[in-house]
Amino acid sequence: MEDLFNHPAVQGGIAPFVVALIVVLILHRVRLGGLALVAALATAVYFVAGFTFSPLTATRKIFLLGLAAPVIGVLADKIFFLSLAAPVIGVLADFAFKPTRIGAVVLALAGAAAALWVFWPLLQQKEAAEAWLLGGTIAFSVAWLVGTGMLIAEDPVRAGAAGLASGLGAGITAIFGASVTYFLYGIALGAGAGAFLLVQMITGKKYVAGATFMLSATLVAGLISAGGMILAKVPWYSVLVLAFIPLATLLPTPKKAPVWVQAVLLSLYGLLVAGVACYLAWHSGGATSA
Amino acid sequence: MSRLTVGLIATALPLAAMAAPESYTTDPYHTFPHFEVSHFGYSSIRGRFDKSVGKFTIDRAAKTGSLEITVQTASVTTGDNERGSRPRTRDEHLRTADFFNVAEYPAMTFKSTGVKFSGDNPAQVDGLLTMIGVSKPLTLQIESWRCGAHPVNKKEMCGGSATGVFKRTEFGMKYGVPALSDEIKLWIGFEAYKD
Repeated sequence: MEDLFNHPAVQGGIAPFVVALIVVLILHRVRLGGLALVAALATAVYFVAGFTFSPLTATRKIFLLGLAAPVIGVLADKIFFLSLAAPVIGVLADFAFKPTRIGAVVLALAGAAAALWVFWPLLQQKEAAEAWLLGGTIAFSVAWLVGTGMLIAEDPVRAGAAGLASGLGAGITAIFGASVTYFLYGIALGAGAGAFLLVQMITGKKYVAGATFMLSATLVAGLISAGGMILAKVPWYSVLVLAFIPLATLLPTPKKAPVWVQAVLLSLYGLLVAGVACYLAWHSGGATSA
Repeated sequence: MSRLTVGLIATALPLAAMAAPESYTTDPYHTFPHFEVSHFGYSSIRGRFDKSVGKFTIDRAAKTGSLEITVQTASVTTGDNERGSRPRTRDEHLRTADFFNVAEYPAMTFKSTGVKFSGDNPAQVDGLLTMIGVSKPLTLQIESWRCGAHPVNKKEMCGGSATGVFKRTEFGMKYGVPALSDEIKLWIGFEAYKD
């Protein structure tokens, strides 16, 4: 049994997927199926590194933010819910849409700030030009991921597809950049999103994703790929390409198609972008993060 | 000054000199910390750190001493540093957060807390190994020890080798355990010139 749980496929893929599946099945009834992602990530962290936070390395900061993201996401969803209620009671009829956009911008900026907090001690050690390149890539990619992710947060199939592709993309580029830990965390994130998507594909029903799901997916995926860049050898341009995954899942699908068809198509859109990032990481050949 | 006084001083001076602690600085060209890890229980992979600086003091009369060595973690090498058809090498992997996390922890140190002697020579050094931000006790056994003048440049020097064993998971380096063994064997060959 111990050998089974020591296997990387179990640690980063199967176990996080099973745990995420259970979370989706239990919590979707209370609109918290999006917690599947943090459950998947926590499962991988438990097996790969353990719940240790001292010394507080960049990797451990990423996990801390991964834990915080759904909490912030739940709060953001509540705010959005209230904003939907506003026009119903006839107050500020056009107010319902604006808070989500403002919320997306605020969350994007907060994500960039959080990313800089994670990697600031490392950026300080770099030469100015390199620090600007890496810091700019980190801030932009995380902000863009989080911001564009919020655009699809209310569509659980698009959100699930973006989470799947973001997680797998961040993970696979990380292993090409020589970090297996980040590979496993990325795959775990993808497995969690995959579980969320699979339940919808099988039942044919759309569950609530919201910021609870999307913030976890985009923030953690962004931080994993940034970590792969600054702590391993993922090239900066791969990180930038990965940031466009949520945007790719905004591409149209047949409106009357079953959920599973939409899920497959949207996942392909996202995975195509992830594939480009992986290709670039594989062929970076010395064009390192630094 | 009487002849007796002069004689006493003349006798005491070398003794005093012997009793004084002597300090040495390691020769970076002849000092290399090596490590050994079991790979799936089949083979043992050995690696070393190419860059390190160290100092030690020794007081043979008082049978005391101290040692401090700082190793640049980015200088780790296991001989696998050419990518070939792979995206990255093992040495690149060793530098990531999976192992030595050199970006966040560019150095690891060993600082002695006590030295035990066997006869006139140091035999064991107890101390703290600080690696990836975690400090844990480590004991180094000195397997060989020799002091004298360098045959060519005639400078006073000491050299030898020391061994130690620790578990890397105690430092938070959990990646790959147990396929890549938790237990790490250390072997340090060193030479140091008297300051």
